[in-house]
Amino acid sequence: MKNLSKVIAVTFIFIAQCICGQDVLVEAESFDNPGGWVVDPQFEQQMGSPYLLAHGIGSPVKNASTKVKFEANGAYHVWVRTMNWVPGIWEAPGKFQLKLNNKIIDKTLGLRSGWGWEYVDKISVSNNEVDLEMVDLTGFDGRCDAIYFSTSDKEPPSSPKKLAEWRKKVKSEPNAPPQTKSYDLVVVGGGLAGCAASIAAAEEGLQVALIHDRPVLGGNASEEIRVHTLGIYGNFERILKKIDTEHYPNGSADAKLDQKKRDDNVKSYENIDLFLNHRAYDAKAENNEIQYVDARHTATGERIRFTAPRYVDSTGDGWIGYWAGAEFSYGRESVDTYGEDWEEHGELWSPKEPDNAVMGSSVLWGSKVTESIHTFPDVPWAMPVAREYAKVAGEWQWEFSNPDYNQIDDAEEIRDHMLRAIYGSFSNAKKDGENANRKLEWVSSLVGKRESRRLVGDHIFTFNDAKEGRKFPDGVVIEIRDVDIHYQTVLEDEKNPDFISEALFYKTPEYYIPYRSLYSKNISNLFMAGRNFSCSHAGLGGPRVMRTTGQMGAAVGFAAALCKKYDVNPREIYSGYLEEYLALIEGQKFEKIPEVKK
Amino acid sequence: MKYFFPMLILLLLFFGKGKDMKYTSSFQISWEVLDKAPEFFVLQWKEGTSLTPSKTDFYIEVDSMGKQEVVALLDNNGKPVLYTSEISAPVCADGECKLMNIRLYWTLLGEYAGFDRYPELPLTKHDHDEFKISDYQKLHALLTDDKSILGRRRIDQLVEKPTMRTVNGVDAISGATVARVKESVVGGALYSCYVAWYLVHGEIRDTLKNHTLSVLSPQMVSNMLYSKNTDYHLFALSELDNAQYAEHYLQITEVFKTSSPLVRSIIAKELPTKFEGFADLQKPFWEAFDEIDLGSRSLLLKHLDKAPLFAFEILSTKLGTMSKNQLKAFLRNLTGKDIISSEVHDNLKKFANSENETYAYLAKSFLED
Repeated sequence: MKNLSKVIAVTFIFIAQCICGQDVLVEAESFDNPGGWVVDPQFEQQMGSPYLLAHGIGSPVKNASTKVKFEANGAYHVWVRTMNWVPGIWEAPGKFQLKLNNKIIDKTLGLRSGWGWEYVDKISVSNNEVDLEMVDLTGFDGRCDAIYFSTSDKEPPSSPKKLAEWRKKVKSEPNAPPQTKSYDLVVVGGGLAGCAASIAAAEEGLQVALIHDRPVLGGNASEEIRVHTLGIYGNFERILKKIDTEHYPNGSADAKLDQKKRDDNVKSYENIDLFLNHRAYDAKAENNEIQYVDARHTATGERIRFTAPRYVDSTGDGWIGYWAGAEFSYGRESVDTYGEDWEEHGELWSPKEPDNAVMGSSVLWGSKVTESIHTFPDVPWAMPVAREYAKVAGEWQWEFSNPDYNQIDDAEEIRDHMLRAIYGSFSNAKKDGENANRKLEWVSSLVGKRESRRLVGDHIFTFNDAKEGRKFPDGVVIEIRDVDIHYQTVLEDEKNPDFISEALFYKTPEYYIPYRSLYSKNISNLFMAGRNFSCSHAGLGGPRVMRTTGQMGAAVGFAAALCKKYDVNPREIYSGYLEEYLALIEGQKFEKIPEVKK
Repeated sequence: MKYFFPMLILLLLFFGKGKDMKYTSSFQISWEVLDKAPEFFVLQWKEGTSLTPSKTDFYIEVDSMGKQEVVALLDNNGKPVLYTSEISAPVCADGECKLMNIRLYWTLLGEYAGFDRYPELPLTKHDHDEFKISDYQKLHALLTDDKSILGRRRIDQLVEKPTMRTVNGVDAISGATVARVKESVVGGALYSCYVAWYLVHGEIRDTLKNHTLSVLSPQMVSNMLYSKNTDYHLFALSELDNAQYAEHYLQITEVFKTSSPLVRSIIAKELPTKFEGFADLQKPFWEAFDEIDLGSRSLLLKHLDKAPLFAFEILSTKLGTMSKNQLKAFLRNLTGKDIISSEVHDNLKKFANSENETYAYLAKSFLED
């Protein structure tokens, strides 16, 4: 034991010297010019960092490049943190190389199973800097998290916990972000719910921070994911029309038309500070009250601490609530938990025993016919997933869920499974002479989730609330859309692909979601809006669509304004100010006439 | 969801000059013994089976045609095996109506079982062309799909075209609904398909299932368990108590291996409770680990904390078939427990040292720790 302590002490000193000395960690997402690589921050909480992805849908992307500065010249060992995303009996699909000072290094990268370090080479640095490039070899989603130059030949740690600690030390990063910003309301997640919450609160005069981890707003409705918005406007037509979409087919490039409208409208509010490309990574609660939310720029790594008396979790995955210690649920409750039986569909609708067979995630895609012949590479690594399935586009049924995968913890594998399904199915379709001129046009690299964590509020909205059209005194969200729950068609027939789903629709009367489902039961200053609102699995089936989640956001934004007015927490709006809250919602339906025009 | 056969009335209202017309059924009900499988059939037909028709109180009300009788087909013990009805129903489109003649069959649970066509009265398409054999096969596939999109749409919704916008000349993707309908129905025979689907999946389903429940016997449940029909498997499994589960464990193992992942998932979830006191009977289920789908494997592994020791030995020979999460779950269940036999240890070591195993590194770090 004594010897072990000595070893640890020596190791620590050695690492400390390296850190304080000449070693350099280059985060791939911070490259000066990412070229054709895209910054992918979706899985930071699972694999440790945003990374660069060579999402060329079969054609190698342009090199990413940056300058690396060194304190001292000399010999350096080079490692790359990467992963072969489909390990198996085929060549790795996402291969790449490094180019240093315009010279390719022979070593092919992207070969190891699971995220970790691959040794590249020992290089010599002169002039205290190096021109570094990443050269994609395949166009099939090679990925690189970081490049590490060290005078030591010791490989950096791989386990997530040790890696996170090591990263902090290498970057000399203190726990607290260097700057703090204070607001009346901090909204995390810029999907429809987060946008609507920000607008509603801003219209009532609150200073709002809207933190979103993408360059554009809208989440699943954005041009990056391209799901159209469904549901009704309820009490919030005026606001929701600023941010929703037309009913284009899912996956359609028409999503771009609505993107500009949404971004322009949100940006038009002077009291919304928009933090695009910022991903929240921590939230701290004391005495069940959130003190702050920390976020990091997905490319530069710059960090900001956000403080406010109240917060909105519209992250979809319920991250803020999760970090703060809010009660949450995940998976399908047993049929008896809330009595959500629908005999006709039995186990597919609500299981006898609880399980994790939640609705899955989609990756949408499309192709187009061109005037010339297009070839598509062989993708043997995709075939175990695609099998014989042949298609030229993917709609909402392209969805993956399996008891083996958690929609949060295994999101990267779920996205990758869908990429294999897409590339393989398109490759199969290309074997048909009819598709000789067809070219893959667009494949999202973002996973569009339907269901993940559900934060628990004072009321848990269930299928029965929808089925019976149950009325609530605080029923601020209104919907008429059928409750539909998805299941994987492979469950009924193994001949079906495992990435295609089907929907079971239950026709309901008009139904209502109470305000009490929109704030946390145990975190006193936390609202939630979006798919992570307080509901059961079957309860989520109807109101998970985006005009409905937008209604939740707007309802929360107006509640936040009253919270500020009376300096109270979300629950007290229900217990003490409900009448005024409902009047506020009623009064906001139409644009206010300016005093001068009255 | 309730399926509304009065859709036919809607059809007539929308499209019918034929709404005032009256039809006469093309044939009388057949009371002959059924001794061969229907031409299009989802169940297995056992050689030598002979089913006797028996009158019931059930019927399907067909607009303009009146009540169409439903008949039970009984085995030698007088128990129902199938239900059938010889149907004549008008199919109307664009103001023109024709009769569709078809003999439909239902399972004991009221699900679609198959149909017989009448060679002298073939089904026809909108352009009067007769159905080819491939069209009948497609109709069979459509009727087998009890969740078809036809069940959720009015006929007028199925023929309308989606409105689309374009951006910068980029192709928009065609509407999912229209594409799905086109894929599933017989080309040029949407109306016939629609009518047939609602005949099969109308309220008669619940009526027939309720009748079966009223005459259900242990032998009927056993027959369902030993069939190859997944709906029968689901039903039979829900009817068996623990003693019957133990009695039929070999057949349940067979069902576990060969039925649908949905059926498997139920068996996997209930394994410890159904075999309480009969732990040894779990063995064939663990042995089937590498023969079943990914999801069912994960559900099975959830019971590892209470699994008999032989489960670990069996699984240690199948590590290569595990996903990353499954291997982690397996190793987690070994951690801190004094259950690693030399056999398990040797298998783990062999796996950890293999160059061809994707997740060998997980086993390696487990052994190092």
